Amino acid sequence: MNKRVPININDIIPSSKDVLHHQGIPEDSVVPDHIISLFEDAVKVFEEKAKPVAIIKKVTANEFNDIFEGEGKNEDQTPLENIYSHSDDLALFALTVGSEIVDIINDLFNKKDFARGAMLDSVASMAADKAVEVLEAYLYNNLSEKNLTKNGSIVLGYSPGYCGWDLSGQKKLFQRLNPAEIGITLNDSYLMSPLKSVSGVLVHGDKEIHVFESSFTFCSYCKNQTCHNRIKKILNSG
Amino acid sequence: MELLSEISKQLEFGNDEKVHELTKDAIASNIDPKIILNDGLISGMNVIGEQFRKHEIFLPDVLMAAKAMYVGMELLKPLFIKDKIPSLGKIVIGTVKGDLHDLGKNLVGIMLKGAGFEVIDLGKDVPPEKFVETAKDERADLIGMSALLTTTLPVMQEVINLLKQNNLAGEIKTIIGGAPVSKEYAEKIGADAFAFDASNSVLVAKELIGII
Repeated sequence: MNKRVPININDIIPSSKDVLHHQGIPEDSVVPDHIISLFEDAVKVFEEKAKPVAIIKKVTANEFNDIFEGEGKNEDQTPLENIYSHSDDLALFALTVGSEIVDIINDLFNKKDFARGAMLDSVASMAADKAVEVLEAYLYNNLSEKNLTKNGSIVLGYSPGYCGWDLSGQKKLFQRLNPAEIGITLNDSYLMSPLKSVSGVLVHGDKEIHVFESSFTFCSYCKNQTCHNRIKKILNSG
Repeated sequence: MELLSEISKQLEFGNDEKVHELTKDAIASNIDPKIILNDGLISGMNVIGEQFRKHEIFLPDVLMAAKAMYVGMELLKPLFIKDKIPSLGKIVIGTVKGDLHDLGKNLVGIMLKGAGFEVIDLGKDVPPEKFVETAKDERADLIGMSALLTTTLPVMQEVINLLKQNNLAGEIKTIIGGAPVSKEYAEKIGADAFAFDASNSVLVAKELIGII
């Protein structure tokens, strides 16, 4: 059964530090007031107009195996196949911050108000990422209440489109989860609408299962540091 | 000319209202529109680009200046033959098929237009054939491709292969960029250049068409 998960907007408002970093502003910079104002205005718009919502659905490793295989377009070897095969629990998820925010961003760009559009885009993107963390915590707490967690276990989310899991994996994921219930649809290129939406799988298990070396074929040319940062966070979590 | 310097300066401040007013004044003073464009608007954007490269200003400052640039260009547009702003070169840009992330691509388009390029923006989720057909039909100098999802990177290779199959490689040059894209990947797939950000894409595009 699908379960709608309430997402409090205050839990996903990104920090100015994260948003300004997303805008390419180095951490140690003295940020001028007019840029801080742009950030604060964008947050205000986001608070007023965003409608974050999510659904999750628990699946078995066997069920997920079929979803993960998708249309057979994954890389030959991926980190996720080693991760989910050693997991304790798996749950599909989809979330969105709503279509109105996307419309406002497009409108700002159409009006050539690029600075406001780009700032709101950054706020919405970072908020969607934070919403995944909210879902990770939700699943962990849910399992914890049922005494299904153990010392050192964590929940982390993984999405199609990254680390060798081909985007076509969204097709079976959507068939199984039916995110249309919360207004998320998939197009022929397996892309989600509204734009600021995230889908994937939440993996619960020992934190060690999430740690992997960047030795996969696609790692040699990918300069995305997200996986490294996540692994670092896990290793530093004690 | 003082009026043109003032347009350039106000553009650097991102003051679009003032740029609008001053550009109107320059037009009313019968200054050649091409001179207003080059010595006023583009001159200001060049300063902004340089300041951004030196990390003296940040992305929002560039985007505010770009808005002022567009405001001025809209006033000048009807004064050029067939409403066509003279350009440094023509570039077709888009986010590759399978990817809807277009913020980076939009910023590249804004910066390139601001620098004086004609930009044909194909949007997002663009199939390889569309890149090549449009570049061919529009006699573009360059194709710029963007991706955020790591699994969509191979689409960039498909575009380059298609250009080769159509004997257009070399004639239409390619620039790639996006969060997971690296210089090494650009070399691996035979792209002509890699741009690490929107500002860098202007430099790279100018280099590829032989301006610098």
